[in-house]
Amino acid sequence: MTDPNRERYRIRETAFYLFTQQSLPACKPVLTPGWVITIFLFMGLIFIPVGLVTLRASHSVVEIVDRYDIECVPESSRIDKISYIQDDSIPKNCSRFMKVRKYMKAPINIYYQLDNYYQNHRRYVKSRSDKQLLHGRKYHDTSSCQPVELNNGQPIVPCGLIAWSLFNDSFTFIRERAELKVNRKNIAWKSDRDHKFGKNVHPFSFQNGTLIGGGKLYPKIPLSDQEDLIVWMRTSALPSFRKLYGRIEEDLDVDDVIVVNLMNNYNTYSFGGKKKLVLSTSSWLGGKNNFLGHACIIVGCSSLVLAIVFTLLHLKYRRPYGDTSYLPWNRKSLSG
Amino acid sequence: MSGWDAVNSPKSQPGSSSSRKTPARTVTLGRVQPQAPALRTIFCNDCDANMAHRYRGNSISTTKYNIFTFLPKGLYEQFRRVANLYFLMVSILSTTPYSPVNPVTNMVPLSLVLMFSLIKEAFEDWQRLQNDKAINNIPVDVLQEQGWETLQWKKLHVGDIIRVKQDEFFPADILLLASTNSDGVCYIESANLDGETNLKIRKALEKTWDYLTPEKACEFKGEVQCEQPNNSLYTFTGNLVIDNQTLPLSPNQILLRGCSLKNTDFIVGAVIFTGHETKVMMNSMNVPSKRSTLERKLDKLILALFCTLFSLCLVGAMGSGIFIDRKYFYLGLLENVEDQFNPNRRFMVIILTMLTLLTLYSTIIPISLYVSIETIKFIQSSQFINKDLNMYHAETNTPASARTSNLNEELGQVEYIFSDKTGTLTRNLMEFFKCSIGGEIYGAGMTEIERDISERKGIKVQEVQMSAGSVREKGFNFDDVRLIRGAWRNEPNHDVCKEFFRCIAICHTVLPEGNESPEKIKYQAASPDEAALVLAAKKFGFFFYRRTPTMIYVRESHVETMGKTQDVSYEILNVLEFNSTRKRQSVVCRYPDGRLVLYCKGADTVIYERLGIGNDDLNKVTRDHLEQFGSAGLRTLCLAYRDLAPGFYEGWNEKFIKAKSSLRDREKRLDEVAELKEKDLILIGATAIEDKLQEGVPSCIQTLSRAGIKIWVLTGDKMETAINIAYACNLLNNEMIQFIISSETDAIREVEERGEQAETALFIKEEVRKQLKQCLDEAQQYFCSPSGPKLGLVIDGKCLMCALDPSLRVMLLTLSLNCASVVCCRVSPLQKAQVTSLVKRGARKITLSIGDGANDVSMIQAAHIGIGISGLEGMQAVMASDFSIAQFRFLEDLLLMHGRWAYIRLCKVVMYFFYKNLAFSLTQFWFTFNTGFCGQRFYDDWFQSLYNVIFTALPVVFVGVLDKDISPSLSKKYPELYKEGVRHMFFKWRVVALWAFFAVYQSLVFFYFISATCSTSLDPSGKMFGLWDVSTMAYTCIVVTVNLRLLMMCNSITRWHCISVGGSILAWFLFIFLYSGITTPLDRNDNMYWVIYILMGTSYFYVTLLLVPVAALLVDFLYLSVQRWFFPYDYQIVQEMHKDDIQSTDPSELLESKQQLTPDEARCREISQLPKEVSRHSGFAFDSPGYESFFASQFGKYVPPKAWDVARRGSMRSKATPK
Repeated sequence: MTDPNRERYRIRETAFYLFTQQSLPACKPVLTPGWVITIFLFMGLIFIPVGLVTLRASHSVVEIVDRYDIECVPESSRIDKISYIQDDSIPKNCSRFMKVRKYMKAPINIYYQLDNYYQNHRRYVKSRSDKQLLHGRKYHDTSSCQPVELNNGQPIVPCGLIAWSLFNDSFTFIRERAELKVNRKNIAWKSDRDHKFGKNVHPFSFQNGTLIGGGKLYPKIPLSDQEDLIVWMRTSALPSFRKLYGRIEEDLDVDDVIVVNLMNNYNTYSFGGKKKLVLSTSSWLGGKNNFLGHACIIVGCSSLVLAIVFTLLHLKYRRPYGDTSYLPWNRKSLSG
Repeated sequence: MSGWDAVNSPKSQPGSSSSRKTPARTVTLGRVQPQAPALRTIFCNDCDANMAHRYRGNSISTTKYNIFTFLPKGLYEQFRRVANLYFLMVSILSTTPYSPVNPVTNMVPLSLVLMFSLIKEAFEDWQRLQNDKAINNIPVDVLQEQGWETLQWKKLHVGDIIRVKQDEFFPADILLLASTNSDGVCYIESANLDGETNLKIRKALEKTWDYLTPEKACEFKGEVQCEQPNNSLYTFTGNLVIDNQTLPLSPNQILLRGCSLKNTDFIVGAVIFTGHETKVMMNSMNVPSKRSTLERKLDKLILALFCTLFSLCLVGAMGSGIFIDRKYFYLGLLENVEDQFNPNRRFMVIILTMLTLLTLYSTIIPISLYVSIETIKFIQSSQFINKDLNMYHAETNTPASARTSNLNEELGQVEYIFSDKTGTLTRNLMEFFKCSIGGEIYGAGMTEIERDISERKGIKVQEVQMSAGSVREKGFNFDDVRLIRGAWRNEPNHDVCKEFFRCIAICHTVLPEGNESPEKIKYQAASPDEAALVLAAKKFGFFFYRRTPTMIYVRESHVETMGKTQDVSYEILNVLEFNSTRKRQSVVCRYPDGRLVLYCKGADTVIYERLGIGNDDLNKVTRDHLEQFGSAGLRTLCLAYRDLAPGFYEGWNEKFIKAKSSLRDREKRLDEVAELKEKDLILIGATAIEDKLQEGVPSCIQTLSRAGIKIWVLTGDKMETAINIAYACNLLNNEMIQFIISSETDAIREVEERGEQAETALFIKEEVRKQLKQCLDEAQQYFCSPSGPKLGLVIDGKCLMCALDPSLRVMLLTLSLNCASVVCCRVSPLQKAQVTSLVKRGARKITLSIGDGANDVSMIQAAHIGIGISGLEGMQAVMASDFSIAQFRFLEDLLLMHGRWAYIRLCKVVMYFFYKNLAFSLTQFWFTFNTGFCGQRFYDDWFQSLYNVIFTALPVVFVGVLDKDISPSLSKKYPELYKEGVRHMFFKWRVVALWAFFAVYQSLVFFYFISATCSTSLDPSGKMFGLWDVSTMAYTCIVVTVNLRLLMMCNSITRWHCISVGGSILAWFLFIFLYSGITTPLDRNDNMYWVIYILMGTSYFYVTLLLVPVAALLVDFLYLSVQRWFFPYDYQIVQEMHKDDIQSTDPSELLESKQQLTPDEARCREISQLPKEVSRHSGFAFDSPGYESFFASQFGKYVPPKAWDVARRGSMRSKATPK
């Protein structure tokens, strides 16, 4: 009848009793040398393979980096690069040659890399209006977009410093006189395209002001399809960052020479930032990044070394665990 | 009987009361002493006439708040905490544009913490309200329209005539009119007021005796003129005007609220003071709440954190001032730039960025720390200390009780214990234990100390079975068949035995009381020793049953022949009384057959001086016996007699009478005369009386002193007694070097006799200085050598008074701190407190006072921790204490186990809080360097705000409650472990620095590992991570690492640890799944949208989640291993020694063992789990737990012991009356 109830009550009461008498069942790990050595050994055995695997993934990636911000300024203008870049009348096209040293399997990601560019600056990060990006001009409160909010009383779409400073260098790639096909779709995260940028929002009054910050947008194309903008607006964490530009969907062979025709429009000269063009394949772990592998291997190796050191210590200066002579009151009686 | 004898002096202490803070509650009557009108006139039985005066009703309210004042007052209380105030400031700051974070970041933790505290307050106040209601609704009989009508207490008015029945409590302060007892007398018990359980007598004025029936009482039309309500419990002045007669009223006619009626069917009285105007309510006041040393140290840590915070902000702000430049065109700094980013106003930039960073780094201050600590402490005290079966005293049904929860960890750091003697170390019970008669020892018992000594020697002591023929009674614990029931007649020295028994039956000043039968008689004695001796005589068959001024009647059995009883009367000719100089007492008596004998008993030294020649063998043997008794901790007296020749006696008696009638130096001359006769004595034997120690006291003291705790005994007793007990308790022993500073020297006595106070004082002071100096010089040579002999100091009250003088204080302190034990005798309650604070202030050590009586109250309040012995008579000490236990020996559990654990646990909690907040905030700081010092937040607002209150909150509470380094039995087995707490091993700046190092290292790992990996694409598709992806990754690593770190610092891991740690990590994932998965139209979180899903879609996430916590914890683990290997803590070694001990960790096993509890144990357990029933004693209306549960229990309602805030519990005004 009430037996299960009583049983439950009894168990609960016992638990409470154990609690108040502070005798709850517990495991009491004691860090004996055996455990220490085992744990270090175990960590070494885990992390060295993991490190090797990640390092291998990183090494399988082929990456070509080309810094072009200086080379693309004509010799005559190199003294005053800022006025060069700000002078719209001078043509900005420039050609670079990239030699493929290793076979690169398609798809090959094209990145541009900027340095000393504080996309994570507080004033910069908050100067956008997520709601406007989604709803367009229907959404009026764009005060967060200061100082690029309005133009002649008209709201700018997309507003804010981030959009205003859109990167606008462009690249074309030619191999053996044939233009390589660059796929510029699907370079932004899907969640961004679908949920953050409106399908019916079109740029309006963008880059119409007295100061032009960067790239322009096609007024006809909705924001959700302007993937350059979407990529640019996922602000980076650090002042040195890469952004995906597009993908070459053809394999590149060893010793291929790629001619890059680029429009060097973007001004990084005023704050001394570098511009780089990166071609990179990718592995299951993404791009070329040795850090993760190295870190794993270092952790694993140091664990192994520690395990060995502790083992040697244990063999040589064995501390009898639980030796009562270590207790100070015993020590005193020994010495005294 | 003598209830009001002690009343004459008002017992309040003006000094202590004025220094108390005014309690923060609505009832602050305690200090209000209405001045005008000086008189209050009450018209008894005349409602309308009293109406005009608008006296307050009888309902009481002890609540702090009402509905309207709750919020403002409660909030005010909360914001008195610096951390809360700081967070309020930061929250306000974060609503300004300077803030990088949403106001929510700081508001949420603050409001959660505030909510928690406020709910707690409200709950507590609601309970108070319920209790008030219960009290206000107690029924009482009130005279209405010619009959008794039952009304509730709250409906009583001033002037009402009420009837109170036996065992009921008085609802208000009442003027006693009539009682069912004859002579208008009634008995009351005032245990709730002053803790005295003896009955007191109140007597009505003769004029009002008749108003007992309702009919008669209706006719009563008196007018009471009395003083205004005040808080003096023992005074009352007023007049009763009746029939144009003015009769004076005294406290003798007043029945105070809080007392109860005993031994009287009912009484009739008139209500004088009601509700909050009753004396007991006006006395309610708050004990000053004590803060623990750890908490004070914690304040310093918080201060250090504030300093760190400011320096971090300063660094960041300077950086921002340097960084900001127009060249970063993309920041739009060309025109209309707000001040914070205006490159032209760099100073302004620095100032404003400072504010920004203050809000950003605010997580460095652990806001939930105080709430967590309070919760932990509350659980520790209410669940562990109060319910510990080891500290439950079954005989008196008294569990231990923590009356405040904020001193738990202080218990783990005590270095000095100040103990009262009587009632604390001893039971205040003298028992006749052994004797030596004619060179033969009788009595087979073993004292506590003997048992202890032999146990230490490794001899297994067998519990001596009481022989079947033994007779035991309270005061008589003698076991030897050779003497009982006339068996002494068969002893070879039976004549000496007879003398022995007669001596103890005749030579005393005891008064018999009550029925003259052996079973019912009660002895009234000046000292309990005497009573024990007379009792022993009774047991031996010499029953002293009657005393007249000249005669003593003794019913002697077995004297002539076995089994025969005869009444013998002895004529008492002279009594030479005991005093401290004589140290002996003599009686001259004449036998019915004319034999004249002088019986004498006294200290061995004085008796041996006066023995006659011969009998050297006997004297020597007896002396050996005396020493034997002494080393067993027994109190000895020598008995001797002398036959007097009638002629000699007559001559002597003349001198005696002359001396007795002399006007000058009577005492001295009497002594001289006595000397003439008290010589040539013949030794009979010696008695040994056991001043019964509390159970387990010597071994407890032994254990505590092994734990490095020094025990001082402060007693009002004589020096000899005190030393005796000190020996018995093992505080002093013969291997010690003892320093005795006494005022009982001849030189001092000589000066004292001259009678000039000023001179005496000066002389004593000089003498004390000399003695102190001498002792100190001697002691100095032992200070250096640790293996040298232990030192002991004995000092008496008079010398102490001088030694406490500022000029001598340092010397006293140096000497006494180097002594293993100190005994202060003949000290007043005030001196007890002075000695306590001397050590507390002078030596800056943590002190604990333990006592049971009203004379210990000042000492209990002066020490860091006050402990009251409960379960006996009187609750004054308990009411003033912070913890109460039933027996001295429970100190062992309280300190070595609960205190030690509480200390270790709280240190862990504090250090962990410090570490986790620092580690978290520093990642933010490193990020600042990568953002141009602009103060951009690294984490989402919600991450930052929930870090402290959700994702890392619970596990640490579990550690604070459940962590156990070694089992309780081991902590008692190795009391030396306690020293770690005394030395502040677990919370000192070195430990803080260590944790700070871990925090810095880990934060670097978190930030740089994550930021170094994310410079390239981490997804096979080549897409790049943004700021929020990176920060979410870092945050995940932090939450996991910080929680795992907690597991690493646990000494014992229960399933609750695992559940809470796992739960916290799981909570984070659940939260982020929801948070990044859902966007509401109202508040779009575009930044975080889908972040975790993107992250978890990459292999990078899993590799990093494996790598970063391990890399971060690698150093910690290395430290832990190296520390344990090379610099182990003492407890760690003990852990290792007992690593393989079988622990009954299997719950089913324990379940079984639980079933195997004997019924008694089970019952004890059940009882101990009940809320404590202290109602019988506890302070009525002092807002104490007993008060509530008492009345609640009357209504059959279960009231759990009050939650938190035990600290602020009121107690009554301390009374420092010597016992």
